Amino acid sequence: MKQSLSKKLWLLLVALFTAAILVACGDDTDGENADSDGGEDASGGETTDIIAWAWDQNFNIAALNLANEYYENEDFNMEIVENAQDDIVQKLNTGLSSGTMKGMPNIVLIEDQRAQSFLQSYPDAFYPIGDYFNTEDFAEYKIAPTSLDGKQYGLPFDTGATGFFYRTDYLEEAGYTHDDLVNITWAQFVDIAKDVKEKTGHPMLALDPNDLGILRVMMQTTGTWYTTEDGKINLVDNEPLKLALQHYKELMSNDLVHLVSDWSQYLAAFNSGDVASVPAGNWIAPSIEAEASQSGLWKVAPTPRLDMEGAANASNQGGSSWYVLNIDGKEAAAEFLGKTFGSNSEFYQELLTEVGAIGTYKPASEGDAYQYENEYFGGQKVIYEISQWMEEIPQVDYGMNTYGIEDILSAEIQQYLDGKSLEDMLADAQAQAENQFK
Amino acid sequence: MKKIKRVFTYIFLSIASLVSIFPFLWMLISMTNKSVDVTAGRLLPGGHLIENINKLIEQTQIGIALWNSFIIAIITTILTLLIGSLAGYGFEIYRSKGKDMIFSILILSMMIPFAAIMIPLYRLFGRISADAPFIGLDTLAAAFLPTIITAFFIFFFRQNTKMFARELVEAGRIDGLSEWGIFFRIYMPTMKTTYAAASIIAFMNSWNNYLWPLVVLQSPEKQTIPLLISNLGAGYTPDYGVIMTAIVVATLPTALVFFLMQRYFVAGMMGSVKG
Repeated sequence: MKQSLSKKLWLLLVALFTAAILVACGDDTDGENADSDGGEDASGGETTDIIAWAWDQNFNIAALNLANEYYENEDFNMEIVENAQDDIVQKLNTGLSSGTMKGMPNIVLIEDQRAQSFLQSYPDAFYPIGDYFNTEDFAEYKIAPTSLDGKQYGLPFDTGATGFFYRTDYLEEAGYTHDDLVNITWAQFVDIAKDVKEKTGHPMLALDPNDLGILRVMMQTTGTWYTTEDGKINLVDNEPLKLALQHYKELMSNDLVHLVSDWSQYLAAFNSGDVASVPAGNWIAPSIEAEASQSGLWKVAPTPRLDMEGAANASNQGGSSWYVLNIDGKEAAAEFLGKTFGSNSEFYQELLTEVGAIGTYKPASEGDAYQYENEYFGGQKVIYEISQWMEEIPQVDYGMNTYGIEDILSAEIQQYLDGKSLEDMLADAQAQAENQFK
Repeated sequence: MKKIKRVFTYIFLSIASLVSIFPFLWMLISMTNKSVDVTAGRLLPGGHLIENINKLIEQTQIGIALWNSFIIAIITTILTLLIGSLAGYGFEIYRSKGKDMIFSILILSMMIPFAAIMIPLYRLFGRISADAPFIGLDTLAAAFLPTIITAFFIFFFRQNTKMFARELVEAGRIDGLSEWGIFFRIYMPTMKTTYAAASIIAFMNSWNNYLWPLVVLQSPEKQTIPLLISNLGAGYTPDYGVIMTAIVVATLPTALVFFLMQRYFVAGMMGSVKG
């Protein structure tokens, strides 16, 4: 018995040792191989092969293809690889933390709310591209998430500027005109939701309890976030968040929400004509337009603001930017981005008409394509209005842990809805988050 | 009384089977509808099957992805079975204390999650790339090499080898067969059901493998089926009709393999439990 016990112990030790070595190897990011890639430098004037990673065939990849058509440089050859966004995150994390830059792309698209975690975790992996375009040409709110320590790493791409998309027929039935919905507060939004529910029976909006996007949209109207600019967790004393949570609870407990559990149900909620409005990023518009039978029944108003000093009727949800990795070909990649996404207003007009992407390049919004009157939205100049709201979006530093904090928060919020006090709930969430992201 | 009991049994079983088969059925129905109808939960077959198939062929490299998945799955299955059964056979037939010890360590290695070894593994393949590009990053070989030796299959074959009559090995030796001869000409034919069960598991594992191929395969022409489906669902406005069509295409081969070998599969699995 004694002998077999010691044998087991020995085995356990060997196994633990092996596991420890394997895990330790993973953390070993000395990056000694960072620049050991073969191949010629871009300056040689020879053909440079550039690899770009992005997601969504009809949107980001279509945009890259269009940019490639606009770029007049015979020595430039770009291969675009389609990967889902989560997959890109996984691949970048694996590749960059393994310390070899082998297999990494030259250009990669990263969502703004994730960008800081990459820039801060892998400081030498990205190439600063501030010299290749003028940051002042871009919507101000895009700069903080795409830069680090005063260096500009990302070239801002699409805007997630939000709008309050609504069904004109339902809102009219409840007694509201377009003017009643312009520049309102979220408190008014909740009141309108109650009216709509009472008079038409329709819930105001669809929400997925696991996705707190709506809270972020509310919070950003005041320019605050889950973290402060110096990276501290900011939940307990976050007044805008508290107000947003109160509105959230009121919407939930008065049955003004159509609950969904995934993206397809979210789309179905408005395509089927069930909900009266969709407050979301402008990229939702094509999904609304997918239901042809509702043409002319929709309009869009500015995003409601939180009823606080300095809040704007503009917010953001999603949106991403282009980054260049610090490997051979970086100059050619940066040059390409700068000449297309960074400065070509004409390109942005076609980007809008062909791809439907609204960039954050400010000079582009004066172009003709932005004046398009969308019949689906009753002839409203949807794009132009969104591009105007875009310039007013309060700037926010998304920090490193947006999604991590939100996982904690979404569990706590359930308790808040079940009756736990707001202060206790936020204090608990704050403590958990501080533990996890020291 | 017995009859009533039987009626209830049938009602219960019908409901249970409906519940388990419904997602599959819905997938087949959705394949014939357009995206808006799928999200609206339409349960009737529509007329968009051809359209969805055409879109799938136009928008993706489904043919190449199928081919890649097939190649990887078949090579993985053959090599896994060969290596796993050789090792399992060796551990059981040529037993010794030392080997039992090594076997225990092997079993313990099953507890290390793949995520823990992924980064060192990536680094390894990154370094190999320079000297041996044919098995380095972004090759099909890199996608299957780390998966062909698994503790699970060695364990699986060792357990099943316990049922294999040792007398056959001795009879083989007396008749002058070499040790390799005994393995290939006696062991392999007798253990047909075990091989069949293992091949189903190995094929399915490889066919559905996602994380490692995702990380190690970079160019579009190396893409496998799970990666392709992941990309389809990643758009801001996903086309669910096309996604469902792709999923049906991806499910067919595994379903086919399973139905062809179902009989052996059950027999093989039973064997491993008995052992």
